[in-house]
Amino acid sequence: MTRPDDPATPAATPERPASAPERPAEIRPRTTARRAPGAAARRGPADPVKSLLHHHRDLCERAVDPLEIAAGLEAHGLTDRTAARYRHRDVFALAEELYARMPPRTREPAAGRPPGPGPDTDARAAWTLLALLPGAACLATAGVLRVTEGVLGDGTRALVTVVGALLACLALRACLGRGPLRAPEGAGRAGMYGCWLLSYAVYGEELLAQIMTGGPDGPWDGTPAPLLGLAAAVAPAAWCAHLFTVHAHRKLTGSRALEEFGAGVRPLLLAAVTLFLGALLPLLYLADLGLGGGGTPVAAVALGVLFFVARLLAAHGLPEPGTVALAAACAVEAGAPALVLSARLPGLEPLAQPVNALVSAGGTGAVSALACGGAAVGLLLHAAFALSRASAHTRT
Amino acid sequence: MRIGLLTDGGYPYATGESRLWCDRLVRGLPQHEFDLFALSRSAHQEDQGWVRLPPQVSRVRTAPLWTPEDGTLRGSGERGLLARLVTGGEQSYGRRDRRRFTEHLTALAGAICTPDEAGTEAGEGPGAELFTEGLYGLAELARERGGLHLALRSEATVRILETASRARGTGRTVQNATVPDHLAFAAELERALRPLSLDWYDQESLGAVDLCHAASGGAAALPGLLAKRFFGVPLLVTEHGVPLRAHYLAASGTPYGTPVRALLAGFHGRLTTEVYRQAAIVTPGNTHVRRWQQRCGADPAKQRTVYPGMAAERFGQVGEDAERFGAAGGSDDAGGPGTLVWVGRIEPAKDLIALLHAFAEVRRAEPGARLRVFGAPAEGDEATTYLAHCEALAAQLFPDEATGAHTEGVSPVTFEEIGGPEVPDLVEAYGAGGVIVLSSVVEGFPVSLVEAMFCGRATVSTDVGAVVEVIGGTGLVVPPRNPKALADACVALLRDPERRARLGAAARARALELFTVEQNLAAFRGIYLELMSHTPVRREADTVDAHGDPLPFATPPEARLLGHWTQPGPHLRPQPDPEPDPSAAVPHWAAPGARLPDRPGEPEPQHTREPEPEGVCAVAAGPAGDGDA
Repeated sequence: MTRPDDPATPAATPERPASAPERPAEIRPRTTARRAPGAAARRGPADPVKSLLHHHRDLCERAVDPLEIAAGLEAHGLTDRTAARYRHRDVFALAEELYARMPPRTREPAAGRPPGPGPDTDARAAWTLLALLPGAACLATAGVLRVTEGVLGDGTRALVTVVGALLACLALRACLGRGPLRAPEGAGRAGMYGCWLLSYAVYGEELLAQIMTGGPDGPWDGTPAPLLGLAAAVAPAAWCAHLFTVHAHRKLTGSRALEEFGAGVRPLLLAAVTLFLGALLPLLYLADLGLGGGGTPVAAVALGVLFFVARLLAAHGLPEPGTVALAAACAVEAGAPALVLSARLPGLEPLAQPVNALVSAGGTGAVSALACGGAAVGLLLHAAFALSRASAHTRT
Repeated sequence: MRIGLLTDGGYPYATGESRLWCDRLVRGLPQHEFDLFALSRSAHQEDQGWVRLPPQVSRVRTAPLWTPEDGTLRGSGERGLLARLVTGGEQSYGRRDRRRFTEHLTALAGAICTPDEAGTEAGEGPGAELFTEGLYGLAELARERGGLHLALRSEATVRILETASRARGTGRTVQNATVPDHLAFAAELERALRPLSLDWYDQESLGAVDLCHAASGGAAALPGLLAKRFFGVPLLVTEHGVPLRAHYLAASGTPYGTPVRALLAGFHGRLTTEVYRQAAIVTPGNTHVRRWQQRCGADPAKQRTVYPGMAAERFGQVGEDAERFGAAGGSDDAGGPGTLVWVGRIEPAKDLIALLHAFAEVRRAEPGARLRVFGAPAEGDEATTYLAHCEALAAQLFPDEATGAHTEGVSPVTFEEIGGPEVPDLVEAYGAGGVIVLSSVVEGFPVSLVEAMFCGRATVSTDVGAVVEVIGGTGLVVPPRNPKALADACVALLRDPERRARLGAAARARALELFTVEQNLAAFRGIYLELMSHTPVRREADTVDAHGDPLPFATPPEARLLGHWTQPGPHLRPQPDPEPDPSAAVPHWAAPGARLPDRPGEPEPQHTREPEPEGVCAVAAGPAGDGDA
């Protein structure tokens, strides 16, 4: 058979130990982009490791432990044989020396982090436009109804109302699906409770009034003003949520401890809710003026804040508390007429007492105001804790 | 025997890593039953479907390691009835589970944040103990209560991580971690620990297999670790690349800050060490991987180098012709003996420029020489640009030459893609050359070199990666980035047909002995038997008859013995104790082929490199090796 190949060919003997100190520069590993070696590199410094360190400065500065340097060196084509030229047993030992000789990390830890995604104007315009749609749909419906008063029959007007409500629902769905109000984990059953609360805002007062006076006595008129005002408030809600998210993120990037971050975020949340209130109040007032509701908008304001905070929590991946708060408000609102009705049974008269007291003190609107207001305050308190946690801000 | 094959982003997915190797293993050992436990890497991979599975695969369980688009991961978190009714959402742990979670995560985070003191052996010391305590504690919690992924994304996790990173003894980098760093690391930790939440850990799934074979380290080996922990199933880990090294290379491309990378490195380092410590046998694919494993705490006594097998049949004709007629392949008129051939995927790491410069020198000495470069550029713009650059350089260095005044000239250097009319397949490409050249500056396991060896061709390669280990003296090796040396070696071979033939025959013999599929299969067959001889299969069903009465002699009396009868520990070591141990005699005949590549006394090649990340077999399918499966 053949004898093992003769490694006597001079060119074919990499095994030859390179003891000559002038060699290192020649085999100095380069990046694969071949750059012309300068004269200085050819001559080589007295300390070969120093030039290696200089050459792989980036790698050594980034490295978090010697193994990372070893992996990087090997990716550049450095082998144990090359390491032997630096008087090291293997690449690991060489990497350890490089790691140890790297001057203490002077760079800012945050320096390597890229800045957050810049303001995406297009996307922002898109979701702003979407957020305006529910309000526009409601306004258009109200306008059509107002204009066609006395022109069209009741059936047609009802059709217009239904179509308008459908459009508003679709628009709401679309704008909750993207932008700052998007809930990454879904919102559980919040939608169901939201619908109940909205219908109560429209029809609830009248229903309660009829029940308390011995009814219900048949069809009753709703007060659509809160609906219009709330639909128009979707856009400011989206913007407030957006501002809150952006500022919380900014705070997050700069903070070194969790407590510090929490303390910084709570005022932000309050500011966002206040800002939203500032937008909601005039909208509800205007809607009231336009549709001539004449009712106190306290319940609607409370409902708006409740919705806003619940959605803000859901948008930060915490849908449960909002859903619970909405469910609680629903329960209270449903409980009031139920108590009044059950008080009609013999022996259960005292059950109606609290409702009676409430209504005599604040009118029929007081029930929903109390329900939504209580839920909103509770939820806001919870949000002040929940949203001051850093983990709530990872997914937004 | 029932083997649980654990893969991560590989077999049985059609686009997986090292799927060819797994496929050959499963098909090559039909006497065993295989249960596949596959983790998928992306939705794209899942969409690509599976390869066709042979009948010996009895069951396939898959689980995603990726997060769906909408960022949600619905798990089996425990919920109360009322909570479910009201919110429709999930609820996290109760108080007792929360305390368990906190305790275990604190241990895990402490181990990750605190590096071992200098001089501590990998796998020893308080850090490793803390890590195992935390890891298995979390695994047990996830197995009993589920919902680990939710807990790992909670504020409590971030708080624990913060506390751990501020503790005494942590490095300065980790101490500098900010809140976003902790959040990023918590998210990564949740991803990495996702295998803990799988529903594979019951008596019907991983509890039912006799042996877990992890096709790679890292995430794939994690279920194996837990199977060993919960059911005592022995674990065999095969690594063709070093996951830890791949992690380091990948991590430098991520946008994470230094603290996150330090924490991740800590986690992966500890996990790798634990995998090597728990594995009954670790089979590195080459010496480079072997050295990394030893560096990470693998016990040399547990290591068996098993070279990746490659299908040698299709090279058989060319190889036999070479043996019969000499290296030129007899009646070869395409290139003939004066032709140098380079085969591979064209990318900057292959250093074709040095090859062209070397060939210029060769032409000076041997004016009739030709160089044929076969291969397509690798993916990416960089490789395409590099190819264009090389072609331009070739055109500059070697103008077209014609034999007479009236004939059309051709360049002595050609760039060809395999699959064209002239060279329909890879084998032809190797057959076209008298000498195969490999000029890489960076190389993992050099697949094209092994193929050239199968073809019985003399080779000249640069001293990178696992080249020396593979070639083993049956070809010439020159330093990388040295065109002069490369040229000298090529000229020496071109002028000496006899030596060429001799080297080619030796190379073919060596390749047929070490790098065939059969040797790979034989090694694993032996290793399976060796492992089984230490952990005998005991199934309840085998010890009772059809009526449920116990069968006599179903369980040997030795099984009742206390002590180390079934423990792999000391018996796997190559018999250091002079005392004759009756049970120690088993593995040595059971695995004759297993130790073949690393017999004691065989000098360890000095420098090696892991194969390219997609695994050896995927590389084998590289330029035109599609008929390889």
